[in-house]
Amino acid sequence: MRDAPFSLKLYRWLLRFYPADFRANYAGPMEQEFRDELAQSTGPWALTALWGQLLADLAISIPVQLSREASQDVRHTLRLWASRPWHTVFAIAALAIGIGANTGVFSVVNALLLRSLPFRDPGRLAALNHAEYIPPHGSAKQFHDWRQQSTYFSDVALTEEFDVNLGGVRDPARAHLAQTSWNFFSTLGTQPVLGRAFMPEEDTPGRNAIAIVGYGLWQQLFAGDRRVLGATIRIDGDPLTIVGVAPPGFDYPGGAVIWKPAKFDGEGNNGWDTVARLKPGITWPQAREAFYAEADRLFPNRYTKRPRVTPLRDGLAGPARNGSLMLMAGVLLVLLMACTNVANLLMARTADRAAELSVRSALGASRARLAQQLLTECLLLSFVAAIAGLVLAYWTTAIAVKVQPPPLAAQSYSILDGRVLGFAALASILSSLLFGVLPSLYAGRIHTFGTRDSGQTRGSRLVRETLVAAQVMLTIILFTASVSVGRAFVKLMGTDRGFDVQGLVTVNVSLGGTTQQLTHRELPYFEEALARVRRLPFVRSASATEFLPLYATGFLGGPAGLDGRPAKRGAMVVPVLSEYLQTMGGRMLGGRDLTDADVHSGARVAVVNEHFAREFGGPAEVLGRQVTQGNTPLYKIVGVVQGMDYETDPSATADRNQIFFPSHAPGGFFSTFVVRVNGRAEDRLAIVRDTIRSVDPQVPVFGAKTMAERLDDTFARPKFYRTAVLLFAAFALLLAVIGIYGIVSYAVVQRTHEMGIRMALGTTPVRLRGILLRQGLLTVAAGAIPGVAGAMLSGRFLESLITGAKSVDLATSTLSVLFIALVASASIWAATRRIAGLDIMTILRTE
Amino acid sequence: MSPTDLTPLSPAFFHILLSLGAGERHGYAIKREIAARTEGKLKLGPGVLYGSINKMVELGLIEETDARPDPHLDDQRRRYYRITTYGRKVARAEGARMRDLVQLAAATFGVRRHA
Repeated sequence: MRDAPFSLKLYRWLLRFYPADFRANYAGPMEQEFRDELAQSTGPWALTALWGQLLADLAISIPVQLSREASQDVRHTLRLWASRPWHTVFAIAALAIGIGANTGVFSVVNALLLRSLPFRDPGRLAALNHAEYIPPHGSAKQFHDWRQQSTYFSDVALTEEFDVNLGGVRDPARAHLAQTSWNFFSTLGTQPVLGRAFMPEEDTPGRNAIAIVGYGLWQQLFAGDRRVLGATIRIDGDPLTIVGVAPPGFDYPGGAVIWKPAKFDGEGNNGWDTVARLKPGITWPQAREAFYAEADRLFPNRYTKRPRVTPLRDGLAGPARNGSLMLMAGVLLVLLMACTNVANLLMARTADRAAELSVRSALGASRARLAQQLLTECLLLSFVAAIAGLVLAYWTTAIAVKVQPPPLAAQSYSILDGRVLGFAALASILSSLLFGVLPSLYAGRIHTFGTRDSGQTRGSRLVRETLVAAQVMLTIILFTASVSVGRAFVKLMGTDRGFDVQGLVTVNVSLGGTTQQLTHRELPYFEEALARVRRLPFVRSASATEFLPLYATGFLGGPAGLDGRPAKRGAMVVPVLSEYLQTMGGRMLGGRDLTDADVHSGARVAVVNEHFAREFGGPAEVLGRQVTQGNTPLYKIVGVVQGMDYETDPSATADRNQIFFPSHAPGGFFSTFVVRVNGRAEDRLAIVRDTIRSVDPQVPVFGAKTMAERLDDTFARPKFYRTAVLLFAAFALLLAVIGIYGIVSYAVVQRTHEMGIRMALGTTPVRLRGILLRQGLLTVAAGAIPGVAGAMLSGRFLESLITGAKSVDLATSTLSVLFIALVASASIWAATRRIAGLDIMTILRTE
Repeated sequence: MSPTDLTPLSPAFFHILLSLGAGERHGYAIKREIAARTEGKLKLGPGVLYGSINKMVELGLIEETDARPDPHLDDQRRRYYRITTYGRKVARAEGARMRDLVQLAAATFGVRRHA
């Protein structure tokens, strides 16, 4: 036996692939047969022929035997599930949460971070922050000279993006355009699917009247017709010839659908973004160092902040990155909790089935056979849970889609992504192994010792109780966090923003490149549109503005004072049409709103906000006086209004001066009509939009939304975090309940004998259940103490997620501890239900 | 279960029954006998052979026997099998089925004594 030939060893090893029962019965004779065959096969040819036959035999018979035993096991498992449905539902629920929440969040993280960008070798692409650094760009030659002599970038491209009016096609529309240096596509390593990319020197004036359109736009406007090449579209009135079509999914930068070569004329080229590719062999730290050195040399002392080179990928994922990674960590923790819980449940079940397993073992089932049975149960459980989990994942991604960050608008969180599915499968297999192995080992122990009360060691019990205590801890942290985040959200939505959200319809228009703009008839256009809208029966008032509250990005305005006295802070200036403040539901503190006459006559009047007025003595004091810039009078103050929140964070605009003045030439970038209506704003949207469109069909009318919708869009991210934290808290609570239930029912089974004796000595079942309740609550208390501490510490993280979220107070923590204790008591009571039905004689007779 | 419920038997089952009909055998002997009887056309690999035996034990066609012909000559690990009464009935039913088929073939095509 010791010097068994290699062939025999190999065959023995291969025999291990047969299922347990078959192996136990036939591995011996099969091995013996192999010896006989081996003895008769002399010479390499005979040996090869023997192995050929054997391998074919193994390949045929192993799957047959495996499926035979597996189907037996599956049938057995289904019978077991039916016999204790609650237990099964709990276990499946716990796993489904773990797998489902995991897959869902993985889909989001995958879409945000992992999925490859539609660029060649995206890991080598860098973004230079334009707020901090712009490469030399006085002329095309200057820029291209600079980039060609770069020692650390192999290529650099400039881009600038904005919205334009799209004409020359069936329906005029707004579109996002990027103008780029000619080498933009070659820098990214992206080839158009049709036509060509830009050629050298096409980014010089006179040669740049060409465009590349996005795949989606091509499908939408040209129905995928190849004759798109050479067609003409009008961008803000200028004709451009289409030379190429970008590949599907390509929407860089910022969701662009049209690209045209930039012209380096120095005019308006302020919003440059820079994308660069590292030279081969240059590492990120080397590139950073070289870049700093060059920026300092080219523009000494210019930067207050050091300019940065960041991987493009990081920039695209943006602020969602940290949040998503934290969610991912949280979700992995939840999966771990789910696994421990199912392990607990299965241990309880295994102990409960000790009698059945002992009998089967006595009837000749091998230890391997029993372990195989338990493993099959686990795999089946994971399989069912994985399917339930996918449904859950689908919901999770549905929530995530609502907060899709704009930079990745073209990428969807497709749940059928192969990698996501792979992750779910892996998670389920790993978890089933995790909790499948423990009970199987335990089953092995039953077999080895053959008694009912030897399995439980102090150590293993301590481990399980610690795990449950950890779950209680996590639940308390998540629970208090969800209360805190929920409160912050309610506060955020309930903030007084200085305007009335309900019953307000908003519609965007843009006059860029239209005949209205070219003939300087912007104001008549707006006046005509407002007149038509105001004639609608349900309209109470209507106006228009250049900036809508919550949509201002950054500070627009400048220094302003009163009668030559400078104000402490600069003022934000908002050009508006008549009745704006009334329409928005602003609260006048004195004076009057702006009128048609103010707008039409070009009167230099303005309404200031309360904050501005207070600085100079209050509303009554400032009325009739002049807003000045330096010593130049700008506007006479005719009214004072309570300020409006122009930025999403209320605290950012609370102490800001605001000046509303009549817009005499509106429609520069794009303007928004605001219309206050009777009845539901949603029902009036279409009529208002069509009325405005009827004024001039050439003017793109877009973004017809109620103000409430806009508010929802703006706060989608805090809403997402609130929902996510709430879901996690609910999941954690459910898992903790399952965990406590599992551990207590295990203890009940484990101590049945002891309890029988106690009952025989006169203890009532209720008192026994009380003892178990007290012990279970001790575990809860052990988790509650670090839980409350953790909840207090988690405040800082919450603040970074949601503005206005405060650290958790003691009352909230106490309340959540009490709540969990209550839920835990209920589940302990349920788990000890069977004690009430114990029959003393049956228990004692088993001895 | 009526013997005819199992017919037609798979060739492997029928050959195993034929071998055991002549007396107790262990697996390897069954295999060699079948190979010899079919002139090497039906070679049962060990996995298929014991898979069939397993199934036949389950069906009650054959059973394991504790008897060892000669412990000195034989390895303890070999397992011996014998045919059951039920197994004999099934084999007989299968034989009858085949005979009917052969008669039908003879009536239709004419079967020569030495094909």
